[in-house]
Amino acid sequence: MSPDPLLRVEGLVKRFGGFRALDGVSFHLAPGEVLGLMGPNGSGKTTCINVISGLYAPDGGAVRFDGQAIGGQKAHLLARAGINRTFQSPKPFLSLTVAENVAVAATYGNGSGKPVDVMALLAELELDGLAHRPAGDLNSAQQKTLDLARALATAPRILLVDELAAGLNPAELSHMASRLRALAAGGMALLVVEHLMGFIDKVTDRVIVMNAGREIFEGTLADATRDAEVVRVFLGGAHG
Amino acid sequence: MLVGALFAGLVFGLYFTLVGLGLNLVFGVMRIVNLAHGDFLMLGGFAAYGLFSAFGLPPLASALIVLVVFTLLGLPIYYLVVPRLLAARDSEMLSIILFFGMSQMIEAITTIAFGATERSLPGRLLGVGPVILLGQRLPSSWVYSAVVSAVAVVGVYLYLYRTRLGTLTRAVMVSRDEALATGIDVHRVSAIAFGIGIALAGIAGVFAPFMLGSVTPAIGAGINIAAFAVIVVGTLGNPLGTVLGGIIYGVSLMLMQTYLSSWANILPNLLLIAVLLIRPEGLLGRQVRRA
Amino acid sequence: MPDRKRIAGDLGLAALVVVAMSVAHGVYSNELLLFNFVMFLTLSQGLNLIYGFTGYLPFGYVGFFGAGAYGFALAVMHLHSPPLLALAIAGLAALVLAVILAPLLRLSGAYFAIASLAAAQALYEVIANPDLQDLTKGPYGVSLSGVFAPRLSYFVAVAIMAVTFALVVWLRNSRFGLSLQAIREDPVSAAMAGVSVVRGRMVAWLLSSVIAGLSGGVFAWHISVFYPDTVFDVTFSIFATVFTLFGGATTLTGPLLGVFFLYGVYNAIGITVPQYFQLIYGALIMGLVLFLPNGLVSLLTRRGFRVP
Repeated sequence: MSPDPLLRVEGLVKRFGGFRALDGVSFHLAPGEVLGLMGPNGSGKTTCINVISGLYAPDGGAVRFDGQAIGGQKAHLLARAGINRTFQSPKPFLSLTVAENVAVAATYGNGSGKPVDVMALLAELELDGLAHRPAGDLNSAQQKTLDLARALATAPRILLVDELAAGLNPAELSHMASRLRALAAGGMALLVVEHLMGFIDKVTDRVIVMNAGREIFEGTLADATRDAEVVRVFLGGAHG
Repeated sequence: MLVGALFAGLVFGLYFTLVGLGLNLVFGVMRIVNLAHGDFLMLGGFAAYGLFSAFGLPPLASALIVLVVFTLLGLPIYYLVVPRLLAARDSEMLSIILFFGMSQMIEAITTIAFGATERSLPGRLLGVGPVILLGQRLPSSWVYSAVVSAVAVVGVYLYLYRTRLGTLTRAVMVSRDEALATGIDVHRVSAIAFGIGIALAGIAGVFAPFMLGSVTPAIGAGINIAAFAVIVVGTLGNPLGTVLGGIIYGVSLMLMQTYLSSWANILPNLLLIAVLLIRPEGLLGRQVRRA
Repeated sequence: MPDRKRIAGDLGLAALVVVAMSVAHGVYSNELLLFNFVMFLTLSQGLNLIYGFTGYLPFGYVGFFGAGAYGFALAVMHLHSPPLLALAIAGLAALVLAVILAPLLRLSGAYFAIASLAAAQALYEVIANPDLQDLTKGPYGVSLSGVFAPRLSYFVAVAIMAVTFALVVWLRNSRFGLSLQAIREDPVSAAMAGVSVVRGRMVAWLLSSVIAGLSGGVFAWHISVFYPDTVFDVTFSIFATVFTLFGGATTLTGPLLGVFFLYGVYNAIGITVPQYFQLIYGALIMGLVLFLPNGLVSLLTRRGFRVP
């Protein structure tokens, strides 16, 4: 099989009161791989990202990063260790400039030992023209790109992408897709939560389908669309 | 002595339920903290004093007048400041600063208009001699105030659960955005809740000269801490939870005054801090912590 | 990011005020008034450290001032400390209080503000309690005439002010200050940028409280006779808050502007009826929150001007 997994999620459980948002989900992710995480609303995709990135402590199971158990570690330490994420609704530091937003992450979150060139990163993401404007001036697509820049400034080895595509127009979509592919080609491991099938198809090597807090399918997107349970969950979920 | 303290605390706690009730209603509906709540209470006390001195009105009549006048007064105040406040990014935090400013203004205007002297009302207005309840002697004014408080709590309950406007109010309490999307006139509902909120403070103020001894323009700040302690203990945003907070507050205050009287003043402060740190969601549960 | 022009501008302004307040002592004879200016300049910038950079507004800021004043007084009365040592104890008293109250930083802003006020009130109730009369002299106040030194204490106050300004300049121009502002804007995003939210807030909180403690200590030294009501007067919190909000937090200019203008007017008109100022300040607070939440300087910064 492909190289050793960089991230291994085993039987992860997260409860909110009596509700099990994650109910024993397991999967793995290798360097250079893009794994799609799909499932109906409320199936636990974002919770999964929140636990891996350290915003929530798990109630059971394990998250292993490079062989080390990291479940329950503080988010800022995980960011320095090389796990980062984007947010479904990004909350940039509105009163700081775009460059300052990224500079904070490059200063505090980069544990790779190699300095990150903030302006070059902004140029790559086509935010360089806005570098000295307050982040509050950006539109929502630009704020999403800035959120990605903030994550990339920490030189992550694993990037968790939470619905980055929602709200982008077709041209921006295909641009973003090739950007994510390029990151994977550079050796980064990506976990992509997304609803848009076309985007998933273009970006991922493999997908996991979740329902009610656990995975019900693992394989290629093409196989997923032929899987009876996946079809039932998606269509059944959509029609109640 | 213990039974006496507990029983007095229960009665006193009912009054403190009334003190916190309006603050909690306003918080529940608007998610803002009316830090001028104690000053509206103080104004209620001055109203009771003024109506008695000028017209000889008894407290119960003053309470009815205060209910009407303060509710109406709340509407323009709401429309002047709250919609603009709620449009801000961190309206909960800004509300504290804003109403702190309002509190300063009310205290200043009252001092300028009436002076800083203590105002009190003769206790006989609320009955002569102590009332004997279950073998405990209590000042009749306490029992009187506690009964009025209980009536106010029941009134708020009936308003919220038995009227159409109350149903809309509860909808706004659950989710302001969804209420807005449903076509509810959120501002009208909130303005009325705001008016009721300060009217409840005003009514509590009418009885303040009896329960707290006297009123001065400066009592607002201390009342705010007590009222906030009561509603945090009893769960923020849940007006009926205030009853639990009020009774816990009243009982602990009476226990302190019985056994450790020189330290009783510190109680509301410590109670507030302790509950915020140990159980910030209140005894009935709601998150107030961030991250 | 270190922007030399900006640092020079900030330092220049800070130095100008420090020099002006030092020179004023030789020219203007109302020493107490000058001292009060220095004190509010310090307190406003101290509040700016925590409010401007982390968004946490401690209504109970006066608690640290009072802790400092009583730290100083107790050190002089019971330990017979020389004034400068007593001043260090004043700072330490505020520091200890800040550490005890650090769990309050877990609360979101609104609850933090009220809880800090409750904490200041609680401390006042302890210090003014007649039961502790042997230790604190309770409500009857303290007299420190043995160490009275108005001129020296004035210049020590100016030195504390200078250090406070330097801290604000540092935060405005350092990566650490930037990380604090990131926490203020969004703690979750800040954590994902690798910033330790808990540590950042804690550092700002401790710095800010020590400044208030030192300020309270030097105030105790300067006036030498005071009561618990004097040094736990919430007016200190109110003034520092109004001055900071008026000019604009996170800048150096904002609080300076607030003190020189508002406190200047306050003294120029005279304090015969303090309620009129209470009224005006109350109205100012409301107006600022509604119409100019980032203070006067935001009229300039909004248009792209740089303000120290």
